[in-house]
Amino acid sequence: MRTTSSLVALLFLALPLGAANLTYIDRPITKIVPIDLAGTLWVDNPFGTVEISGVDGTNATITAVRTTIAVDHDSMVEARDNTVLSFEGDVHQRIVRTLMPPQRSQRWSSSVKYTISVPRTVHLRVATKAADTIRVANIMGNVTVKAFSGTIVLDNVNGASIIDAVNGRVVYNFPTKPVSNAQVNAVNANIEVHLPADSNIDWVADTLRGDVWTSFQQLRGRWTGRVFSGSLNASGGPRLTTATMLGRVALLANGATGADAQSVLSLLPPLPAGNTQPVVQQMSRIQLATIPGPMEIVQRVADVNVGEARGPLRVFTGGAIELGTVYGDCTANASGGITITEAKAGLNAHSGGGDIVVRTARNGGTILTDGGSVKVEYTGGPTTLRSGGGDIIVRQAGGPIDAETRSGDITVGSDPNQKTQHIAAHTARGNITLHLSPRFGADVDATVLTSDSDNDAIYSDFKGLQIRKDQVGGKTRFRATGKINGGGERLELYSEEGTIHINAGLKW
Amino acid sequence: MSDCNLMRESMPFLLTESLDPVRRETAHQHIEQCAACGEEWAGYRETWTLLETLPELEAPPRVKQRFMNYVNPPAAAPNVVPFQRRPAVRWLAQAAAVVIIASGAYVAGHRGAQPTTQVVDKTTAATPATVTSAMPLNAIQPAAFSIAESRVLPANQISPVIEGRPDIQNVSFTTLDGLNDQMGVSFDITSHVTVTGHPTDKTMVRLMRYVLENEDRMAPSQSRAIDWVRSTYSQPGNADPEIARALANVLRNDTHEGVRIKAVETLTNLPSALSTDSREALIQALKSDPNPAVRIKAVEALSNLIRKSGQADAITLETLRAKASQDDENMYVRVKAAEALSNVRP
Repeated sequence: MRTTSSLVALLFLALPLGAANLTYIDRPITKIVPIDLAGTLWVDNPFGTVEISGVDGTNATITAVRTTIAVDHDSMVEARDNTVLSFEGDVHQRIVRTLMPPQRSQRWSSSVKYTISVPRTVHLRVATKAADTIRVANIMGNVTVKAFSGTIVLDNVNGASIIDAVNGRVVYNFPTKPVSNAQVNAVNANIEVHLPADSNIDWVADTLRGDVWTSFQQLRGRWTGRVFSGSLNASGGPRLTTATMLGRVALLANGATGADAQSVLSLLPPLPAGNTQPVVQQMSRIQLATIPGPMEIVQRVADVNVGEARGPLRVFTGGAIELGTVYGDCTANASGGITITEAKAGLNAHSGGGDIVVRTARNGGTILTDGGSVKVEYTGGPTTLRSGGGDIIVRQAGGPIDAETRSGDITVGSDPNQKTQHIAAHTARGNITLHLSPRFGADVDATVLTSDSDNDAIYSDFKGLQIRKDQVGGKTRFRATGKINGGGERLELYSEEGTIHINAGLKW
Repeated sequence: MSDCNLMRESMPFLLTESLDPVRRETAHQHIEQCAACGEEWAGYRETWTLLETLPELEAPPRVKQRFMNYVNPPAAAPNVVPFQRRPAVRWLAQAAAVVIIASGAYVAGHRGAQPTTQVVDKTTAATPATVTSAMPLNAIQPAAFSIAESRVLPANQISPVIEGRPDIQNVSFTTLDGLNDQMGVSFDITSHVTVTGHPTDKTMVRLMRYVLENEDRMAPSQSRAIDWVRSTYSQPGNADPEIARALANVLRNDTHEGVRIKAVETLTNLPSALSTDSREALIQALKSDPNPAVRIKAVEALSNLIRKSGQADAITLETLRAKASQDDENMYVRVKAAEALSNVRP
C-alpha cells in the first residue's frame, strides 16, 4: 500500500546508514477490522517491532508506523515505494504484511512497528527476520513465532506456543501456572522461562554448548547425553521444551533472577557412562597450559587446547583438539581437527572429519579420520593410519606403516636408519609415493589398477622388480613384484586410478 | 522395369545422338511400345527444345579462371616442397605433423600483434619449437594456434622444418574433392605443449578451467592443478569468475573426496568466491556431500563468507539453520553452522 500519510518528521540523525541520513517516520495508520473469536491473525513483518495483546471484543485493531532511513532523497523515494503495508483476509483469517524486496539496499533501510489488539482467543502466527521486539501478551489461542533475531517475549500466553528463533532472546512469563505445551527451538538464542513456583510441568532442555540453569531446587530428572528431562513439582503437567544449540536455558521462579539460579548439571549431575567423567564445565573453549597427572576431558562442542600433559590424557569433544606434549598414553577424539605436537607414549587419535596433524608419535599409534587428511612428521613405532577421503603423509617412519585412504594420495618416507620395515599402503583412488633410503631392502608387491593402459603406472628407482600388465574387469592391472636390495620386510602397495613411485632417496 | 531404367539412362545420349545405331534403334522401339518411357522421352525432348531457345550468357571471369586453372594448372610455387614418396608411411606423416605445428607457430609469430601469451610446443626436449600467439581472446580470432581436439591446416601455412621426432599414430590419407593435385594426411600426434602467459590472460584462464573440469584425462593429479590454481588465482589481481565456476563444478561432480576438499579450500581463498555459482556449490556440498571433511570445509567456507560480508541470502541461512539443528550431523559442522548464523545481520 502506498502510504498517503503526511510526513511527520524529517530529521538528520547519526543512524546506521551514516552521519547525515534522512529519516522519515510516517503518521500511524490504524485499521479496525472484525475477526472471529477463533480466527487467526498472521503478521509478517521482516524488520521492526510487533506488539500484540489480547483484549475483550470482536475486532482487531492494527496500528502501523513506518520508519524509513535513506542516504538521499532518491533513496528515500525508493525506500518508501518498496516498503508497502498490506492488510488482507476476512473475518476468519486476517493477514498483515510488510512487503519489501528480498535483497536489502545499502542506501536505505525501513522498518514497521505494529501495535495490534485482538480478541484474546484468536490464534497468532508471527514471522520476522530482524525484529527489534516481538511481544505477545494475554493470548489464549495458539501462538507461533518465527524470527531470525530479536527479543521475543510471551506474557501470559495460555495457549500452546511454538517459537523458532536463530539469534536473540526468548522470554516466557507465566503469571499463572502453565496449562499448555510450549516449545522453543533456537540456534544461538538464550531462553528464559519464568513461572510460578507451584507450577507442575514436564521440562525437556537441550543445549549443545550452553548450560541449563534453574532456581527450582525441587526439580527432578535425569540427563540423557546432553538432554535433560525432568519435572517440576508433580509430573504430568504441560510439556515445556527448550532447545538451543549454543545459547543458555534458564527456568526461573517468578521473582527470581539469573543470580538465584544454579546449573542443573550441578543440581543433578549426569550419570557416568563407562569411565567417562566430565571434569570441567561445558564451555566453548578449554585452554589448559599444564596438566600434572592423568586427566580426562569430555566436552560436547568445545575446542580443547592443552599445552602439556604429564600423564595419560583422554580428550573427547565435538570441537577441535590441539595438544602439545603428552607424556602418557594419549587418546584424542574430536569431531573437528586434531593437532598433536608430541605423543611420547601410545597415541589413539580419531577425528569425525577434520584433518589430523601429528608432529611426533614416539611409539606410533592409531590415527583415523573419517574424512580429512592425516599428516605425521615422525613416527617411531607401528602406526595405523586411515582416512575416509584425504591424503596420508608420513614424512619419516621409524616403524611399520599401515596406511589406507578411500580417496587420496599416500606418501611415506622411511627413517634413514631403517634398513627394512613393513609398509602397507592402500588407496582406492590416488597415488602412492615411497621415499626409501637407497639401501632399503624389501619384498615388493605393488599393484595399480587403472583405466589408463597407455602409460606405465609403477616406477621404481630400485632394480629387481618385475612388472607385469594384464586386463582385469575392463581395466589394466600393473603389478610389480620382486626383491629390492636383497629383500626384507614386505612392501604391500595398492592403488586404483593412480601411480606408484618407489624412490631411492629420502629427499622430498 | 529394368529395361525401362536402362532406357531412361540412355535418353540423354539419344537426345544428343550419341548412341550407336543398334542401341538407338532398340531405344526407339522401346519408347514406342512403353507408354511411361514414351512420356519420359517427350519430356526430355521438350526440355531440350526449350534449352535451345534460351539466350547464351558469358561465364564470369572468376569462374572461367578457376575452370581454366583446373584444366591447365599453373606451375608450382617455389616455396612448395615437392611431395616425394618415402619408403615408410610413418615418416611421411611425422614430417607433415611437425610441418603443421611449426608453420602455425611461424605464422602466428609474424602477424605483428602484441604478444601476451606464448605457446611453446616441445616435440622433444632438445629441440623445442616456439609458437607465439599473443592477443586477447577477442583479437586472436582466428587463432594461429589453438588447443583443439581436431584441426585442419593448409600445408602452405606450415613450416617445412621438422623438429625432433614426434610420435604420430592413426595415419590416414585422403583425396580432396575436385582437387586432384592435392591430398590430405590425418593423424594423431602426441606433443608436449607449454603455454606461458599472465594468469589473467583469457587463454590461461580457459586452459586452467579445462584442466580442472576434465579430471579423468589429467595426470598425474588433478589436486595438483587445484593447488596451482589456489596459489595463482587467490591473489586479488588474478581472480577470475571462470576459475571459481570451474572449482564449483569440481566440488559438485568430482568423485575424489580429496579433490573436493581442495576445491572448497580454494574457493574459500578466491576473491571471486562470492559468486552465486560458488555459493550454491558450497551449499550443495554442505547439504549432501557424503564426506564429513568436505562438509566441514564447506561450512567453514560459508562461515568465512558471512563473516566477511555480514550478510547471507535466504538459502544459505536456511541451510545453515538446518545443519545446526540436524541431530545426526557431525558436531563440529553443527557448531560451525550455528556460529556462522550468529554473525549474520539479516
